[in-house]
Amino acid sequence: MTAKRLRIIALLAISTVFLLAWAFPIVWSVMNSLKTDSDVLAYPPKLVFTPTWEAYRDVLFGSGSILPNLLSSVIISVGTTVVTMLMAVPAAYALARLRFRGKKFAGFYVLATQMLPPVGIIIPYFLVLRNIGWIDTYQGIILIYLSFSLPFAIWLLVSYFEDIPFEMEEAAYLDGASRLKTLWRIIIPQVRGGIAVTVVFVFLNAWNEFLFAVVLSGNTVRPVTVAMFNFVSVEQTLWAKLAAVSVLAMLPVVVLGVVAQKHIVKGLTVGAVKGGGRR
Amino acid sequence: MTSFKPTRRTLLKTGTAAAAFATLGPAFLRQAAAQDADLAPYKSAQIDWQQVSGETITVAVIPASYFENLIALAPQFKALTGIDVRFEKIPPAQIRQKSVIDLTSKTGTYATHAADPMYYALYAANKWVEPLDTYLADKSLTDPAWFKLDDIIPAWRSANGIDGKLYGMPYDGEVTIQVYRKDLYDAKGLKPADTLEAYMSNAAALNTPNDRVWGAALRGVAGAGQNMYIYPSIFREFGGDWMKGGKLTVNGPEAEAALAWYVDIMKKYAPTAAANWNWPDIADAFSQGTVASYIDAHSSASVINNPEKSKVIGKVAYARWPKGPSGKRTTSIWNWGFPINSALPEKKRKATWLFIQWAASAETQARTAHKFAGPTKRSGVNRTSVWKDPDYIKLMNGFGENFVEATMGALQEDTDVDWRPRVPQWPAIGDTMATAIQSALSGQASIKAALDDAQRRIEPMMRG
Repeated sequence: MTAKRLRIIALLAISTVFLLAWAFPIVWSVMNSLKTDSDVLAYPPKLVFTPTWEAYRDVLFGSGSILPNLLSSVIISVGTTVVTMLMAVPAAYALARLRFRGKKFAGFYVLATQMLPPVGIIIPYFLVLRNIGWIDTYQGIILIYLSFSLPFAIWLLVSYFEDIPFEMEEAAYLDGASRLKTLWRIIIPQVRGGIAVTVVFVFLNAWNEFLFAVVLSGNTVRPVTVAMFNFVSVEQTLWAKLAAVSVLAMLPVVVLGVVAQKHIVKGLTVGAVKGGGRR
Repeated sequence: MTSFKPTRRTLLKTGTAAAAFATLGPAFLRQAAAQDADLAPYKSAQIDWQQVSGETITVAVIPASYFENLIALAPQFKALTGIDVRFEKIPPAQIRQKSVIDLTSKTGTYATHAADPMYYALYAANKWVEPLDTYLADKSLTDPAWFKLDDIIPAWRSANGIDGKLYGMPYDGEVTIQVYRKDLYDAKGLKPADTLEAYMSNAAALNTPNDRVWGAALRGVAGAGQNMYIYPSIFREFGGDWMKGGKLTVNGPEAEAALAWYVDIMKKYAPTAAANWNWPDIADAFSQGTVASYIDAHSSASVINNPEKSKVIGKVAYARWPKGPSGKRTTSIWNWGFPINSALPEKKRKATWLFIQWAASAETQARTAHKFAGPTKRSGVNRTSVWKDPDYIKLMNGFGENFVEATMGALQEDTDVDWRPRVPQWPAIGDTMATAIQSALSGQASIKAALDDAQRRIEPMMRG
């Protein structure tokens, strides 16, 4: 009894330490976003202070408003996610089910593109986009984002497709359904969880991307990750505003996470248990 | 567009006036642009400003108030020349990367950009940017009597020149000076340090961490523009020579003595965290009263005098760099200059030159500084004549005792074109040195080992 209790206490203590460490940056950002510049710098750090929305008002409606940047981020992330999923679902299905020449190679190739360090390919990408006049355009950035989101999505989805018993498909064929119809009506509903997980990850990767965005974007298309960097100026760091933008940039991600949580958990466990449905 | 307003409060004693300006924001700046739209001072130049009317150029700048003020005046430039200027604001860490990519690929995206003086050696070696002397000499493009090149701070011109040719026109710059708390110094009967030795003993006398006051702080964070911005001054003051016998040398007795001084003051009398501080962090700490003195850019005066966050307004004074054992004081010769991208077609190059000439002219310098209608005025103007303008001096004196004297003294006497090694390999060398300094500051390597290791890494770069 006491041993069990001790164990629980120890586990609780450990998880509290981890939780504090992980939550600290977020709590810090939220608090600083509600402070004035002089409160941010106060020592000892003020835990009790009069909250102000000034930083939010400035970054949203002030002269350096980040609203256009948030819109840029939404367009890029949604665009990337939609195009990725439209292509990844059939591709993953093909890799999981069909037999064709070079399938093994194709499977490897999909993974191989993930092995290059992004910083090494950024300049070639810049040159390509420059030559086709797509620097600082949505299609340009989405095209480049596809280069990492698509392999990732395919790779993730293949394992979900492989887990679906082939018998289910056969049953559909026996009833006279075409392959596409089977995919749409039978398979996809089965991998809803997997698709939700993939959508969330693809969206998150696109939303949080900075390295490519900073080089390939300009005045027209400037996602929030790049824009918020301007609050760290050569003259001073605008802590409260930086924190406010961070919180705003986190919001959609948090909302998406909460909404998709059910699917994520289900999707992850479905993918985890092998053998059950596999041939 | 004006998110950096609070920086250059001009010490209007009335914070309210400043706050009112801040809320007015962009509307105010537009008004500022319109109300000063008197173009006569420019039209007295004997050139045809409209010769490439209709061109559009893109200019990359960093987000900083001194460029915001210029952007605010862009409508005047358009009215004068018929040239459209698109400004793109890129953070300082990325502007180098983006402009180098643009220059190497010869895409001509940025007609000009705010350039780091240390990059001209690289730019010129590759002919990525144009020598400006051809533009300066062309009577159809420049009226020398009106532009008065000689009026532009000589040290900055030499910083932006290679082999006597100017490649980037200085727009805004800074010198490094001592900033100290006069009240604390007075209480202990101390004077601003005249030597590095005295700077150390002052720091020792004022260092009382238990009362949350540390003796001094210098930029400690690793980076070519961070610790490798402060260290070169110390190195030169200790008699160091980057090009010893024609060979780039970063180790040796002078280097060891210089780095030892740097490590010493940081370890003994600076807050522990200062090893990771860049200058905004130092200015933030100083403004909260926790640092008795620092040596950094004179432009930081605006932050420590910002009524919205500073607690030390009225207690600040300035002095030039303390002398090193060599008897020299060595300031930074940092400035943001504008080069002309060689990849541009001729008409755009002309348009770019007209823009540069306009931005660097005495009139525009004054209109973005003390004559600027917005709340934040520049403190890094590029012209001696503006620095001597009584209105400008009056404005600058608001920053605290001896500000103008220290800054002008540093500009005229403490500049040193060989402050940092001016070679095309600078970007890699700057990073290597920054890492070496950091490992010595953090105690990961001994001073000698850190410098010898940097020398070993740098040698192959110089052969390449």
